[in-house]
Amino acid sequence: MHEMTGGADPVLRVSGLRKTYGVVRAVDDVSFTLDKGRSLGVVGESGSGKTTTARIIVGLEHADTGQVAVAGRDRTESRRHGRAERLRRAREVQMVFQDPFLSLDPRIPVGTALRETLRLHFPRRDGAARVAELLDQVGLGERAAAALPRELSGGQRQRVAIARALAVEPAVLVLDEAVAALDVSVQAQILNLLADIREQTGIGYLFITHDLGVVRCVTDDVVVMWRGAIVERGPTERVLAAPEHPYTRLLLDSVPRPGWDPGRVAADRRALASTAAPSPSSPDHRKS
Amino acid sequence: MSAATHVLEIDGLTLRLPRTARPVLDGVDLTVGASEIVALVGESGSGKSMTLRTALGLLPRQAAVGGSVRVAGEDVLTMTPARLRDLRAGTASMIFQDPRAAINPLRRLGDFLTESARINGGAGGERAVVRARHLLAAVGLTDRVLSQYPHELSGGMLQRIMIASALMNDPGLLLCDEPTTALDVTTQAEIVALLADLRNTFGTGMLFVTHDLGLAAAISDRVFVMYAGRIVEHGPAGSLFGAPRHPYTAALLDSTPRLEAPSERLAAIPGQPPDLRAPLSGCPFAARCAYAIERCRAERPEPENGVACHRAGELVLATVREGDRPRA
Amino acid sequence: MTAAALTRRPGLKHIRTRRNGLYLTCLAFVGLVVVVALIAPWLAPADPNATDLGAALTDPSPGHPLGADIAGRDTLSRLLLGSRTSLLGPLGIVAFSTVLGVVVGVTAGWRGGWIDTALSRSSELLLAFPGLLLAILFVALYGEGLLAPVVALSLAYLPFVSRLARSLTLSERQRPYLAAYRVQGFSGLSICVRHLIPNIAPVVLAQSTVNFGYALLDMAALSFLGLGVPPLTPDWGSMINAGQTALLQGKPLSAVLPCVLIVVTVVAFNVVGEHWADRVARRER
Ligand SMILES: Nc1ncnc2c1ncn2[C@@H]1O[C@H](COP(=O)(O)OP(=O)(O)O)[C@@H](O)[C@H]1O
Ligand code: SF4
Ligand SMILES: [Mg+2]
Repeated sequence: MHEMTGGADPVLRVSGLRKTYGVVRAVDDVSFTLDKGRSLGVVGESGSGKTTTARIIVGLEHADTGQVAVAGRDRTESRRHGRAERLRRAREVQMVFQDPFLSLDPRIPVGTALRETLRLHFPRRDGAARVAELLDQVGLGERAAAALPRELSGGQRQRVAIARALAVEPAVLVLDEAVAALDVSVQAQILNLLADIREQTGIGYLFITHDLGVVRCVTDDVVVMWRGAIVERGPTERVLAAPEHPYTRLLLDSVPRPGWDPGRVAADRRALASTAAPSPSSPDHRKS
Repeated sequence: MSAATHVLEIDGLTLRLPRTARPVLDGVDLTVGASEIVALVGESGSGKSMTLRTALGLLPRQAAVGGSVRVAGEDVLTMTPARLRDLRAGTASMIFQDPRAAINPLRRLGDFLTESARINGGAGGERAVVRARHLLAAVGLTDRVLSQYPHELSGGMLQRIMIASALMNDPGLLLCDEPTTALDVTTQAEIVALLADLRNTFGTGMLFVTHDLGLAAAISDRVFVMYAGRIVEHGPAGSLFGAPRHPYTAALLDSTPRLEAPSERLAAIPGQPPDLRAPLSGCPFAARCAYAIERCRAERPEPENGVACHRAGELVLATVREGDRPRA
Repeated sequence: MTAAALTRRPGLKHIRTRRNGLYLTCLAFVGLVVVVALIAPWLAPADPNATDLGAALTDPSPGHPLGADIAGRDTLSRLLLGSRTSLLGPLGIVAFSTVLGVVVGVTAGWRGGWIDTALSRSSELLLAFPGLLLAILFVALYGEGLLAPVVALSLAYLPFVSRLARSLTLSERQRPYLAAYRVQGFSGLSICVRHLIPNIAPVVLAQSTVNFGYALLDMAALSFLGLGVPPLTPDWGSMINAGQTALLQGKPLSAVLPCVLIVVTVVAFNVVGEHWADRVARRER
């Protein structure tokens, strides 16, 4: 397995992350780097440790061991909870969650939510102008500022969530299944929007998804996770065209397509499960 | 196919709800033949699930319904409650997106499987258990699960239980509401393989609701595309996805990220599906359609040869990525 | 929302609060009682403490529409003015226990760990101690007056609120919108105050409404025992006490009416609170 190509100083460096819950090894020695302005995909089935990795990176969870560094600064060490430290960490990494119905406070209008974040991070800037700018950047009209989350469609809410993350002006944006809950037509709009934003701002994406079509469309490089560990990595094009690990091949074969034989995929899956080193089985029901 | 072999026959189904400006379902025509898999695709809110539930007579309160829905030749909309119960217990059954939400977490799975047989007095407890064991084998599970609780099983295994339970009374029609959406892609393949197998062994007709066009193309014989409560196009899976005739079908295909395609911008459909609170005139897709003309906004296109589009005859739908359309 | 259920006494569990007619009736009654308490001095036909010995233990008459008690005090006036003391005590209890209970419950649920253990254990301890006994103890220690029993009963009601607030906090904590605020760099305190508490408030307030009814009952019991309410202040509980002799002499009105008022008010608060909680739970689904 070759290391991901990387410049001298990647914007995000994750090394040797481990996290266990009881006997389940949720994250098992995960390392990767993300260069400035690049997009790295993380794929794998549910329970493979993608979400846990993401939560450790943004600081919602503590790793047992391992490090996460943004622009060379380690963010796993610091347990200080000072305000300046909190804000600095927030400006390193932001996150967009899977379910736009749950990731916004139902009581707070869109504009107020954005202003809240702006006031926290940039108290001296003109909030109103920036709110309008952010809404425009994610393709929402200024009228959306007055709307409550429940008055918006799923796609619009996800735009709000993206705007809120961008308000902090982070170096890295983690997107955990951020388009999985959306319809294809809306999903396409959001994926295009994300591509535009990356082009304009040079932000780096860590794009977590189980949909290989989406990976193909928005990432430059990809890591494949299986049972908490990375089993394959490389440029997206190469991994999808010539997968090396049997699990990656299984994932690719699972995508419905012309001439698809689900029966064979099922057989391969059983074969892979039985040949693989027995690891504590993880119940796959804890969906994120 | 003659009417006699249709396990499901929906004719001009219209459904209105209070406080809406347009019907939720608007003149839906759809058939499912014996041992046929029919896919119903469309965006969320287009009325797929509602159509499915009507086939079991599961109507929302205060719904005003028109048209007819015949299951095995008998109109569901005029059935007595007792007859409806029989229908749901025997002729037709349904599996849902989230098996965990549909199974009582406090009961053993054996109870869950034989419950309806015991309550409806059908096969009697003993025979129900025999059938349950037989079906568990058919869906690739062992008898051990009979004494297990839902939380001990993964989502994929629970969905198999759901399928086994749906087949307990040997239904002629199986209604599947996004049965694999909550599952992993690899698990999805297993469930789909299983459903295809069961169709072959038991001759069950299936109506399969999904928003995944690739999946619809891969597993179904025929496909119905729904938009804003209307069927806008239907036809054999291969030709429908290979050469879509309705602009909406083509647009959906183009906005789907594909493995084989070069990574480039997706052809997203602008705008959003029409809101239920706003009245609709003309073609429901007109506001988002790249080919809309004056007539589209004024006049409602009626289905003709399986397409409801004024310009179906003249349009040769430019296909953005010709080569990689799913072919069934 | 399944984890968090309101606490109510067994006897009232079977009232079907979903029925709208019952709820509206109860709401109207609660509103009426509150309005009456506010404008009681202008409503009362007579001075509640004026003794008209000639009218003592007479049947209702034009001068005393609901009769008079054994000391000849006008029952209607005492009932009207009594509503003030009878509601003021529970109001204090509910306000105090709600504020404190939310602080304790949210802190326990949000911080977790040893703080949670310590707070939860101590409120369980409080829960095990009968509220009335605590109140009697406080009155014995700090003397008559409304303050001592109100403080004691506030402490007794605190665990009901804190337990609910804690379990609501635990389930609300799982929601990504709170995680999103943490990732954005907001402090725990500001997330709790600005987002978590407003979102759990409806259920907590429903519980407090239910508690209001029970607190009213407890305060009435105390004043029936002659504790809490200072002598001469009209109060429903002390009216029952004073009416005991009248009851024995066959003129029950001055004792029965406050009884009925207490029971109906308690039930009304209960129904209203439960209905609100139901409504929140249904909206969540
Ligand atoms: N808070 C937790 N408690 C117990 N187990 C957990 C917890 N979070 C995650 N896990 C387990 O860790 C594994 C990885 O989960 P996750 O990171 O959510 O994977 P993914 O995002 O790829 O679906 C799973 O087996 C899951 O059940
Ligand atoms: S009828 Fe007109 S608007 Fe509707 S799909 Fe056809 S071309 Fe487009
Ligand atoms: Mg996940």
